[in-house]
Parts: sequence; structure tokens; C-alpha cells
Amino acid sequence: MRTCATEFSKSILLLLFLLLLAMSFSLMIGGFSFYPSELMTGLSAQQLFILWEIRLPRILLAAVIGAGLAISGVALQSLFRNPLAEPGLIGVSSSAAFGAVFVIVLGGALWQEVAVWQISVAAFLMASLSTLLLYRIATRYGHTDVALMLLAGVAFNAVFGALTQLLIVFSDDTQLRSALFWMMGSLANLSWFSVGLVSAFVLMATMGLWRLVKPMNAFLLGESVSLQMGYDTKWFKWQVMGLSALIVGVSVSMVGVIGFVGLVVPHIIRLWVGADHRLVLPFSALGGAILLVLADLLARQIIYPAELPIGLLMALLGGPFFLMMLISKRNGYSKALSSVQGKGF
Amino acid sequence: MGSHAIQVQSLSVVRGHQTLLNQVSCGFESGNIHIILGQNGAGKSTLLNCLSHEIMPSQGHVLWHGKPLDSFSYRDLAQQRAVLSQSNELAFSFTVQALVSLGVEVKQRPKEQAKRVIESVLAVCDMTHLQHRDYLTLSGGEKKRAQLARVLAQIWPTEVCESVQEGGGEKFLGKWLFLDEWTASLDIKHQQRLARYFKQWASQGLGIIMVLHDISLAAQLADYCCLLKDGKVFAAGKVTTVLQAPILKQALEMNVRVEMDESTKRPMVYPMLF
Repeated sequence: MRTCATEFSKSILLLLFLLLLAMSFSLMIGGFSFYPSELMTGLSAQQLFILWEIRLPRILLAAVIGAGLAISGVALQSLFRNPLAEPGLIGVSSSAAFGAVFVIVLGGALWQEVAVWQISVAAFLMASLSTLLLYRIATRYGHTDVALMLLAGVAFNAVFGALTQLLIVFSDDTQLRSALFWMMGSLANLSWFSVGLVSAFVLMATMGLWRLVKPMNAFLLGESVSLQMGYDTKWFKWQVMGLSALIVGVSVSMVGVIGFVGLVVPHIIRLWVGADHRLVLPFSALGGAILLVLADLLARQIIYPAELPIGLLMALLGGPFFLMMLISKRNGYSKALSSVQGKGF
Repeated sequence: MGSHAIQVQSLSVVRGHQTLLNQVSCGFESGNIHIILGQNGAGKSTLLNCLSHEIMPSQGHVLWHGKPLDSFSYRDLAQQRAVLSQSNELAFSFTVQALVSLGVEVKQRPKEQAKRVIESVLAVCDMTHLQHRDYLTLSGGEKKRAQLARVLAQIWPTEVCESVQEGGGEKFLGKWLFLDEWTASLDIKHQQRLARYFKQWASQGLGIIMVLHDISLAAQLADYCCLLKDGKVFAAGKVTTVLQAPILKQALEMNVRVEMDESTKRPMVYPMLF
């Protein structure tokens, strides 16, 4: 499992190469397709505009958000000590979406004009709040009850989904459009400014989480063991909750709910490199970026000239994957699930 | 009370309406094996958890080499003592080797040295042949041994690596090992094997405090015993003074025969059904 340093850097380079490949593919293909040869001969002003102002920021955003969602999945999975903890599944994303839509629909009454940062702050606050609440509900005396965690997630999704829809009832046409877009997730129509904002926050949170890889490993053994091994678990939990909520909040406020990235990617990466977070964290980040760039390409092309919301696409792909994961590992999972507190489903 | 390396002073733990520990005072010496005995719910694990600073007492305190436990950081404590809990949860697949390396990393060591520590603790716990196995696929006893290897790696001294078998010396001086029912799910062979190691390490300066239900093993292993009943110390002291039939019958409500082994000068305790 512990790959040696050269093997590690080789695999990282491989993933980086794959990411660049996926990004360049995505850059070339679309309503306007380019050929590498055209880059040599020079592009027209219109082509440059499409590449530079529309496609590139979108692709970068897909990569950053994919990486961020995968990392927040990894972080939450270590916090809940279970590979099924995922921001979308446990209701963190939908509560963040509720925060965002709340500000969009009702913020106009409070402030004259709703700024992007206000939406982000609302999404972040709701994401933190729901993570905290969920942790309080599912974890007692340092033990996480997985069934409770998932069921509370179901409840969160139901409540916040309903509240969001309630807000939509009160919204006007333009608000309706943007609220719907929030619920389905979309990478369309985003500026360089959003790319910069999301990248800054995701990078910050990632660096924060990177410092925690060792306590994350220890935390998988249980809260008390991690304490015995010398880690300040209370502070650790606050950091993981805050930083993962930051990633989820900022991404949801920009692109809406995109589920399953945080579930699928860490799962595959763990099958490859094992559970050590020093490997799982960077590998998942790159894997998430690759996945979302490719998914975005697919979402743009599959029903061209229309565009599938990427959140919808990820749910269509990720849902069956989740089921497959459950079925193929049924025995293993029921063991893993019940071993956490001696309680299965 | 004299000044022991670890001194427990009128410790009380109250949770809700339940008094788990009631004015417990006792002391623990390094280089000795201390065994905490008692019925289910007598407060054994609670006492051990207080010693490892996992739970805060409602009253009283624990002095660690004369200083209150709160004055140490978790990191400092982790370098001095390692704890094997009763149950261990792990829902992710780690190989045994990777699990043990989590314990080694508690202390900063050069890579080469860390590797040797892992090798020797795996050998001690008879897990070398299973080191590449996925932890989740191990049997209960194997899991226990893997966890023990991880725990040992946390406090394993550098010098011992070259000479595991050698006796004497003070290689474990200042280190402590807390074990909560370590025999559970272990077969007799491994119980005995590890018990012999515990004896050896204690003679090299390691302080061991363990909660144990197997009273026959306790009689052969312990230097000191602390007998708890209903959250209070019922009897404490040298193994010969505590492990006597009347005391055991009263504290543990068990049928027992105690004989003195003349060759080892140790009590032999036989739990009797009839």
C-alpha cells in the first residue's frame, strides 16, 4: 500500500498528464471545434474569444470544483470514519444550495442588489451548520452510527430540498431560472472572477486539509485512539468540518449541487492506493478534477446544441455507480458498516 | 501515600446519575506490571481512561511523575505511553504494515529506523507473515495482535530493535503501556507469548497497567494488583496480599481456590465452578 517516493511521483505525474489531456480535449471540442493545427496557423478573434472567455474558465472551474468536491469527500469520510459520507449524500450540499437560493430569492428584499459573495457566505454558513448538526446527530461518545448518518442525510436532503422548492414558489421568473440551475448544478456562464474566487478558497482549504493527513489517518481508528496517539481531536474535528464546509459552500454557491464526485473518486482511489490519506488526498484531488472535466465535456456534447446540467449528469452516472458499489461489496460493506458500532442496517 | 510514578488522588468520575469511580486513590510504578481487577462495571476501564487522559475526572486528579496530567499535551503523552483499547473500529482497508506504521509516526524517526521498529513489533506480535494482509480480512485475534503491534510501535525504543531477545538494561525506562483486556479473542499460545514479553519489558523499565479478567493469568503476571468494586478500591497492593481467596470471593463474587506456589513464591489462582 505504501508506495515508495518514486512510484508516488510517477503516479502523480501520470494523473497530471491525464488531467492536462482531458482539459485540452475539452478545450478543443464543443460547438466550435478546433484542431491543434489551427493553433499553429493562428486563430480568429472570435475563436480566441470562445477559447479564452468561455471555454477555458469553464474547464478550469470544472477541474477546481472536481478536485475540491473529491477532497471534501475524503475529509468527511475520515471525520465520519466511513466511505459513504459524501456532501451530497448526507445533505450538506443541499443545505448549501438552500442557503444560496435563500439569498437569491429573499436577499433582494434585504439588500438592493445581491452580490456573489453574499451567496457564497450563505452557502458556506449553511454547509457548516448542517455538517455540525449531522455530526452531533450521528456521533455519540466518539462513535459514528452510519445508519443514523445516512438517515439524517436523507432527512436533510428532504427538508432542504423542500425549503428550496418553497422558495422557488415565491420567486419571479429570473430567480426561478437561477434557482433551478442551482439545484441541478451547472458550469455554464461563469466568469474568470468566479474561477479565481473558487480556486482561491479551494486551494486554501486544500492546504489546510493537507496539514491534517496524519490525524485523518489516526482518526480512522476512532476518536479515542487518535487521542491516545497524541492528536488534539477536538481541534481536528473543527478544522475538518470547517474546511470541507468551505469547499462545499463555495462550490455550491458558484455551480450548484454536483453530487457523487466525493463518493466515486475517493472510492476508486482507495482501491488503487489504499486508505493512507497522504496518497488518497492528492490522488483524489487530481481524480476529481479529471472526472469533472470529462463529465463537463460529456454534458456539453451529449444533447448538443442543448446542454445537460452537470449535476444532473453526475447524478445519472453516480447513482448507479453508488448502487453497484453497494451490491458488489455487499458483504464487505455490511461488515464495514456494522463494525463501526455493531449496528448494521 | 508515597510518590509513585503515576499517582491517582481521590479520583471520582460521575456521568449523569452514575458514579463510575468513587474516591479512587492508588499508585503505579514504572518497571512493574499492575493489574486492575474487578467485575463488569466496577470502573476498571474508566480508571484506565482517566490515566490515559481520555476522560476528565469529576473530582481529584492524576499525577504523572509529580505533575498533573492536564499539564502535558496529547503529543507529549503519546510519546510516553501507548494504549490498547478494548475494541477497535476501522472500516477502511489498511494493510497490517500500514496500520503499524501509523503508530510509528507518532514519534519523528529516521526512515530506516522506523522500518526496523515496524519489523520488530510485527515479529513480537507474530504478525510478520500477515503484514501485507488487509486488516479487514483478519480474524478477531489477528486484528488484536495487529492493533497491539501498532500500539507498541508508538513507544518502541530505538535501541531494542537490534536485540529484541536480550534481557536486562533499561531500554523501556519512562515508557508506559496501558492494555484494556488484551487477552480477549487471543488464543492461549499468543496470550502466553505476549505475557512473557510483557514480563521481559517490565524488567527493562516498562510500566504496564492492564485490565484483566483472567485471574489465573493475572496471578502469574502481576507485580501489583488493584481490585475495584463498585467504583471503589476494594484492595490494592502486592499480588501476594491482594490475591487471597477471601478477598477475591468477596470482591469478585466468584468461587476460587488459591494456592501458594513455593518455587515461584506466587499465588496460583484456580477459579472453580463447583
